[in-house]
Amino acid sequence: MVQAVKRLLFLLPAFVLYTVFMVYPLLSALADSFWTWEGTARRGFAGAGNFTGLFTTFPLNRQLEPAFWHTVVFFLGTMVVQNTFGLLVAVLLVELPAARRFLRTVYTIPYLIGGLVVGYLWSLLLSPAFGPLNAGLHAAGLGSLARPWLGDPATALPVVILVNAWQYLGFPVLLFGAALAGLPPEYGEAARVDGAGARQRFFRVTLPLLLPSIGVVTILTFIGSMNTFELVYSLEGAQGNQPTGPGGATDVLGLIFYRVAFQEGGSNAIGLSSALAVLLFVFTFGVAVVANGLIRRRTT
Amino acid sequence: MRARNGFAVLAATALAATAACTATGSSNGNGDVTLSVWSWRPEDAAVYRQIFAKFHESHPHIQVDFKPYKSTEYNPILSTGLTQAGGPDVAQLRSYGILQPLIQAGDLVPLDGQVAGLSNFETTSLDGPRGKKDHKVYGVPLEMSTFQVYYNKDIFAKYQLQPPATWDQLIADAKKLLAAGITPFAAAGKDTWLLPLYDETFAATRYGGRDFEKKVLAGRAKFTDPEYVAALDVLNQLKPYFPKDQMGLGEADVQTLFATGKAAMIPEGSFALGPLKAINPNLNLGVFNPPPPPGALVTKPLQVGWVDASYGLNAKSQHQKEALELLQWMTTAEFGKLVADQLKQVSLVKGVQSSDPLLGQMVSAYRSDPTPYLMLVDFRYGTPLGSDLQAAGLQKMLLGQQTAAQAANDIQTGLAQWFKP
Repeated sequence: MVQAVKRLLFLLPAFVLYTVFMVYPLLSALADSFWTWEGTARRGFAGAGNFTGLFTTFPLNRQLEPAFWHTVVFFLGTMVVQNTFGLLVAVLLVELPAARRFLRTVYTIPYLIGGLVVGYLWSLLLSPAFGPLNAGLHAAGLGSLARPWLGDPATALPVVILVNAWQYLGFPVLLFGAALAGLPPEYGEAARVDGAGARQRFFRVTLPLLLPSIGVVTILTFIGSMNTFELVYSLEGAQGNQPTGPGGATDVLGLIFYRVAFQEGGSNAIGLSSALAVLLFVFTFGVAVVANGLIRRRTT
Repeated sequence: MRARNGFAVLAATALAATAACTATGSSNGNGDVTLSVWSWRPEDAAVYRQIFAKFHESHPHIQVDFKPYKSTEYNPILSTGLTQAGGPDVAQLRSYGILQPLIQAGDLVPLDGQVAGLSNFETTSLDGPRGKKDHKVYGVPLEMSTFQVYYNKDIFAKYQLQPPATWDQLIADAKKLLAAGITPFAAAGKDTWLLPLYDETFAATRYGGRDFEKKVLAGRAKFTDPEYVAALDVLNQLKPYFPKDQMGLGEADVQTLFATGKAAMIPEGSFALGPLKAINPNLNLGVFNPPPPPGALVTKPLQVGWVDASYGLNAKSQHQKEALELLQWMTTAEFGKLVADQLKQVSLVKGVQSSDPLLGQMVSAYRSDPTPYLMLVDFRYGTPLGSDLQAAGLQKMLLGQQTAAQAANDIQTGLAQWFKP
């Protein structure tokens, strides 16, 4: 009995901190989303009014769907570019034990810089007027390839995905690297003895064994993509309640939340933005839970 | 128990502090009064102290305590400050739509009949601090912004060009510059807030300027009317003469293009004069307003302009009489000249000359042929803001993703949600 009380006492600090800083804000956002607001003053009970408002208020209603798909494309693009390339780098690093630590550090450095700084630096590099990228293309006789990378609806979102991958490449490299180091070498050697080539060994032996970490990376990438904000904000800006990027080409859900909450100046900003936050959370949480369940079933 | 006593002491102290703050400004035994003046211009604090020292010379019984706040945080600070004790006596006020909630809450004193010097301002200047519902004036206009085309006089001389007198001449000049490898107009597309201002500058004449404003406010015109659609489309006609990479360029980029001689003209605000000269102090500048495009309803160039700021009186001020004396002084040519020479802003007091001849040219054009920045002046007191709708629509139009008619339709749909004529 005394033992149990002691245990609870030890749990108490973490529980209090978690409640105050995690549970309370989440629940209060949930509560806020059901009320109508005038500035910071709470007015009448809105029921589902804020949720339907998201889909009926012009021009917000027209911004949500494209922003959702841009967010999905951002996730898929990040999976293809960042995580595939990250896996390749991690596998190659296994073969280069001498340079492994040094290269792993190099790949992780951009990860340590804030997204706003990365975005600002890349917007300078990509500037059509003064950026070195277009200047280099012109100097190399490839001027026809030069374009306003962030101002062209066709290239803006791919460029954002690439810059994001540049920044976070170190993340899959580290995770896959750790997983690869944990694989028992016997499997690979057995396959080699049986006459399997390098490619066969990778696809038939290594990759299936990496599935759990691929699952973890996928889920974390999904969560990060759904909440992506700072990089797009610093590359493309956010003005009033206008969709971000050329013709709205890089508008994502995180930016809509920011604009509704802080920029557009509507009196019911708290109600609408809380409703959007709740939807975003439910969707992200739901997909993450389902995906996690699927991965567990596959791997156990 | 000790902790609880400590709390009681704290609470008592807080109460006492609140009580001490209930008087806004303060007065000492001699009848001398200190007025608290709030502003969003910390960068001007030193200059304001000199300006108010001048006021103190002629009004020895009134001291002014100038309290600036950060511009981006000023609006909520002021709206709470006006409702509570410890607020300002006199406060710098935003203009048009953003000011309306303060007026409707009864936080400000109408100045008609109280400040005789309001007659030193044109009616259009007084529209900035005017109440939308009661049409009363709640502030003494401080300064304004204008938007027009700057041109590089050296480039114009080299290619034997003059500020164009007709639209055909404007297009012919632009073609000549383009052929010589110079960007005619340094127009940005990434900072979308500039796009509505470009449209006003080149095409307010096309939709009819202030006549259209009156009609649309009275519900006798819509943004989907052919003249407004045609005005949006004017930027499409100018697109060949904007930078090829327009949508990738921000305001700082195009200012640099212009100031370094890579572009011959730039549509910009009066507030850009300083930054342009900072990039290139030797820049030989002129300004003009574009001639009306084909089909324009107004046949002479118009000057886009709007009131930025005014000073108004807190309804809760304990020193109404002294505050009115200060506001009256702010309507005089003496104060107007200090605004022009010391604050380097365009004063709205009649007859005050600007410190810079270019600014003088802008303000005199505004006095004779003004046109409003329509979306700021009239459609910024509900959401979605008119300027946001127009900016997003014009960007898509210039990208070729939609027509001027579709852009106009979005503006009308968005504004109809809250604007009732």
